[in-house]
Amino acid sequence: MSHQIEFHGVKKVFGEGADAVHAFGPVDLTIHQGEFVSLLGPSGCGKSTLMLMTSGLLEPTEGQVVIGGKPVNGPQTDVGIMFQDNTLVPWRTVRGNIELQLEMRGLSTAEYSERVDQMLAAVHMEEFSDRHPYELSGGMQQRAAFCQAMVHTPGTMLLDEPLGKLDAMTRERIRSDLQTLWMQQRPTVIFVTHSIEEAFQLSTKVAVITPRPGCIERIIDVDLPFPRDFEVKSSPEFSAHVREAQEIFRSYGVI
Amino acid sequence: MASFDKKPYFAALKVHLKNSWMFVVFFVGFFLFWEYSIQWFDIPRYILTPPSLIVEKGAADLERLLYYTYVTGFETLLGFVIAIVFALPLGLAIAFSSVLKRTLYPFLVCIEMVPKIAFAPLFISWLGFGLLPKVIIVFLVCFFPIVLNAILAFNSLSEELTLFSRSTGGGAWRTFLKIRLPAALPQCFVGFKYAAINATVGAAIAEFIGSDEGLGFYIQIVTGNMRPDLAFAGIFFLTLIGLCLFGIVTIAERLMIPWHISVRRG
Ligand SMILES: Nc1ncnc2c1ncn2[C@@H]1O[C@H](COP(=O)(O)OP(=O)(O)OP(=O)(O)O)[C@@H](O)[C@H]1O
Ligand SMILES: [Mg+2]
Repeated sequence: MSHQIEFHGVKKVFGEGADAVHAFGPVDLTIHQGEFVSLLGPSGCGKSTLMLMTSGLLEPTEGQVVIGGKPVNGPQTDVGIMFQDNTLVPWRTVRGNIELQLEMRGLSTAEYSERVDQMLAAVHMEEFSDRHPYELSGGMQQRAAFCQAMVHTPGTMLLDEPLGKLDAMTRERIRSDLQTLWMQQRPTVIFVTHSIEEAFQLSTKVAVITPRPGCIERIIDVDLPFPRDFEVKSSPEFSAHVREAQEIFRSYGVI
Repeated sequence: MASFDKKPYFAALKVHLKNSWMFVVFFVGFFLFWEYSIQWFDIPRYILTPPSLIVEKGAADLERLLYYTYVTGFETLLGFVIAIVFALPLGLAIAFSSVLKRTLYPFLVCIEMVPKIAFAPLFISWLGFGLLPKVIIVFLVCFFPIVLNAILAFNSLSEELTLFSRSTGGGAWRTFLKIRLPAALPQCFVGFKYAAINATVGAAIAEFIGSDEGLGFYIQIVTGNMRPDLAFAGIFFLTLIGLCLFGIVTIAERLMIPWHISVRRG
């Protein structure tokens, strides 16, 4: 099944009349199967709103989202969503939380047991599988939430600031882990971030979003080789991309 | 669940004592002050009696006190349990039905303003001196905090978890069992605890008004006979019932939601 995602004139307005908040759009965008697209923009520009509309959890006021040729009319179950605030429940351990995703979908936890182990190992959390969320640091919770969101091997991944709470060093490591994962399995990814550098390091395309109402100002194709290690990041092409985005934000007075 | 109580028993007791010695000293001091202030201030015996005398006279009348504790305790427990049995499903129904939320819910909130105790004489006059009117009064006192907290509990699932459960396509039943119910338990326990604290008030007042046994009846009779010592003994056993009920609820809370912050801090 194809995981191409299309946005046709998608727009979201919250509320009605004088209190209405024009949060996002209208936006036209096509994300091809296997692409890694970053939504880069300042706080409040509608990135999370676009995520929710993509996953069918929020209805656009105008326009339509199409995934794999089918219009989105309700919650999409073949996506993995990592929400901005983590969705770990306090009454389950890390492993239990990951299994919650499986149980909710009616999948067998026994069959997925190995997969859960692999995922925990991938984010360096094996030792904490029997801990409860309150026994973890913010960054560890985020890594557990990542496993929870992706355990059912979705073809499309929606990540809303997955690395937001991590310290700079862990962030760097998880970034390259995420890149490796994406290079191996090639899912379609929409990745929300505030970090310009992070966007260009990970993505095939970066959608630069302007402040309210959020609109895609420019889509920058990042034609650099993967994996984007230190070498690539210090190249002049990479710096040129970063500067291009910075200039857009400066012209809007965001930075 | 093993990670919740790893401390060896004695170490835990030591920490407990270290944290609570000030309270123990205050508590003992309070009773000593009570004991000796009666001599210091020349308080007449028919107004207030020293704790030592309460223990002595209470012990002499222990058989009657224990039987009445059983009578009142049974009324309290029965009313409390029946309140839970009716209030939880009703709270659930109101939380998940928009029609009930617009009709029954505001009605309950209005009734909640009425002091339930005020109905006690009516129920006694309708139903006589038996067990039933007392259980009904306890039930009324317990019912409202449980219902209102249950409604709150089942309606306050976080936005993120609501979205999460929808994104899994898990369906209403699975969402309820695996997410809504466990998430609602802490707030439900707030209601149970509040009800447990107030349950004995209902039982005692119902017995004041019309009864021929129980601790409320006892306190009223001995006070009429100018025996504050026995009245205090009755109050002591009434408190004991309340403490036991509260203790049971607290133990249930520890067993059912050991992960919750109120339990972990407590
Ligand atoms: N449920 C809602 N009701 C009303 N307004 C909303 C709602 N959700 C979001 N908004 C508004 O829409 C705008 C975009 O919000 P959104 O959460 O999508 O921003 P964001 O880009 O994800 O920001 P951040 O980077 O801070 O997470 C904001 O101005 C916000 O006030
Ligand atoms: Mg957001």
